[in-house]
Amino acid sequence: MLARSSLRATRAFGAARTGATRNAQRNASTQSSSGNAAGWKENTLLTSSTALAIGSVAWYYYQFGRPAHAMTPAEEGLHATAYPWEHEKLIKTFDHGALRRGFQVYREVCSSCHSLSRIPYRTVVGTMMTTDEAKALAEENEYDTEPNDEGEIEKRPGKLSDYIPAPYKNDEAARAANNGALPPDLSLIVKARHGGCNYIFSLLTGYPEEPPAGAVVQSGLNFNPYFPGTGIAMARVLYDGLVEYDDGTAATTSQMAKDVVEFLNWTAEPEMDQRKRMGWKVMAVGSVLFALSVWVKRHRWSTIKTRHMSYQAPASGNRTPYPGQMHRR
Amino acid sequence: MAGFLANFYGQIVKRNTTFLASIFIGAFATELAFETGANGIWDQINKGRQWKDIKQRYMEADE
Amino acid sequence: MSLTQAASTLVRHSARQPLPALRHASAASVQQQRRHRADASTSHAQFKSPFHRGQQDSPDTTVIPSFKKYRGGSETGNKMFSYFMVGAFGGLSAMGAKDTVQNFLVNMSASADVLAQAKVEVDLAAIPEGKNVIIKWRGKPVFIRHRTSDEIKEAEGTDWQKLRDPQPDSARVKKPEWLIMLGVCTHLGCVPIGESGDFGGWFCPCHGSHYDISGRARKGPAPLNLEVPEYDFPEETNLIIG
Repeated sequence: MLARSSLRATRAFGAARTGATRNAQRNASTQSSSGNAAGWKENTLLTSSTALAIGSVAWYYYQFGRPAHAMTPAEEGLHATAYPWEHEKLIKTFDHGALRRGFQVYREVCSSCHSLSRIPYRTVVGTMMTTDEAKALAEENEYDTEPNDEGEIEKRPGKLSDYIPAPYKNDEAARAANNGALPPDLSLIVKARHGGCNYIFSLLTGYPEEPPAGAVVQSGLNFNPYFPGTGIAMARVLYDGLVEYDDGTAATTSQMAKDVVEFLNWTAEPEMDQRKRMGWKVMAVGSVLFALSVWVKRHRWSTIKTRHMSYQAPASGNRTPYPGQMHRR
Repeated sequence: MAGFLANFYGQIVKRNTTFLASIFIGAFATELAFETGANGIWDQINKGRQWKDIKQRYMEADE
Repeated sequence: MSLTQAASTLVRHSARQPLPALRHASAASVQQQRRHRADASTSHAQFKSPFHRGQQDSPDTTVIPSFKKYRGGSETGNKMFSYFMVGAFGGLSAMGAKDTVQNFLVNMSASADVLAQAKVEVDLAAIPEGKNVIIKWRGKPVFIRHRTSDEIKEAEGTDWQKLRDPQPDSARVKKPEWLIMLGVCTHLGCVPIGESGDFGGWFCPCHGSHYDISGRARKGPAPLNLEVPEYDFPEETNLIIG
């Protein structure tokens, strides 16, 4: 690689050198006084310094400039297809109906292995559920109370301020139950994975019927081309008709995957609707403000910019004028 | 038009206090109008996607 | 077909190569321009300023040229336009400044999770008449007393104007049968004991402060009555503190 790049570099120098020589000759011919004796020295100096400069840049790029890939493409996983997510457009909110369906998919499918530890029940009120629905949902779970007078910790039904409970007590329990693989927490998973929504959608819907010929799949793992390393502990979970949506949407695999991905994007960015709404307002006011500020600046400076300063040298003699001699008539 | 402008100038702009006061009142009114208008446009663009558009379905189902 | 082709070729050709006479003329003009430019840079050509009148050796600098062509509209109209632009700029800036300050203030106030935990819901149906219940709210004990009618009568009948911290019973309760207050002694912060003390209310064991059945300081070092938190009855048998 180095040899090849340096070869290419020398070829480039060759071109540069002939150009330089021609230039130098042209210069020499125009300058009648300079002799030809110093010409080859100058040429050599010019050529060698150019070669040194280009060569050091090439060497530096070769050493430090090339991208370093830690993994092979198979280890990286197949690049996820870019889907036209409606909620990722600049002026679109989440589809809250989809959020509600996605939450249902999470509760009925994902939550048996994956926690959602950063989402309290109060946040789904007013985004995808009514207060009563969320309360009923929270009360299905039990939480520890504060220690009572005897120091005992009792159980109480959940409240809106409680967080969605994790399926396992701790990471060790989760690993033990899942063949040593830890199901990641899903609260921020859309932000935490390269490719975001596209990756998770591709992963959920990308399980082939059976692994392609020649693929090595360890026992206990499943083949998914989108997962880095292709061997994923999670099996395919979404099948047509797995859940029954209360708004009558047909629960196909891709529909469920889309809904749950949008829901997971909401858990990662619950402020997105507000952010986009505010962003557009700020851009609108800000652009008007910018235009006005340009106008006001020109207005304020117009008296200064159009000022005319005039200096008339004194008529008498050839003395060098200096400012003290400025005068008006 | 010119008469109106001259009147407006004499009444409001000439005195700094009234000019400043009218600027702040105007800013307040502009903010109200802008917020209402911008939110209206936003809701129009996102019609049917926000919770307030679909909650009616589930509120009724509760009762 | 071939004729038109030939003609078009001819036309194109002639267009690309202008007639010799034309070429000559354009070259001459270029040369002329060049010479002219050279003259301007080498000889000291005179600069005719619009501010000057008179001869080179006796210039008159007091001339003000006409700016009439830059002037447009009426004076009031122009003035109003300038003032409007400046005013709109200031107004929009004020709007932005106000929103910035507001956002900072909102950011500094209690966050949603704190607010969510700052409220405690209590089911009052589980508290029988004449009983005390202590619950924890924001890390402090809260006394909830279901008062009997005798106790209500006693609390309301007290000559409250002469107390250390004069307060009528009606200012301390929303419903007379429910007394809700923070269980922190106003003296040094101990937790008073219920259903004890000289006035049938609370007694602080630390320094011997006595509170009556309305939680008012009656005896001992306590300077103030027991504090009443914010609370509300959304339903008949439901209490929300906070």
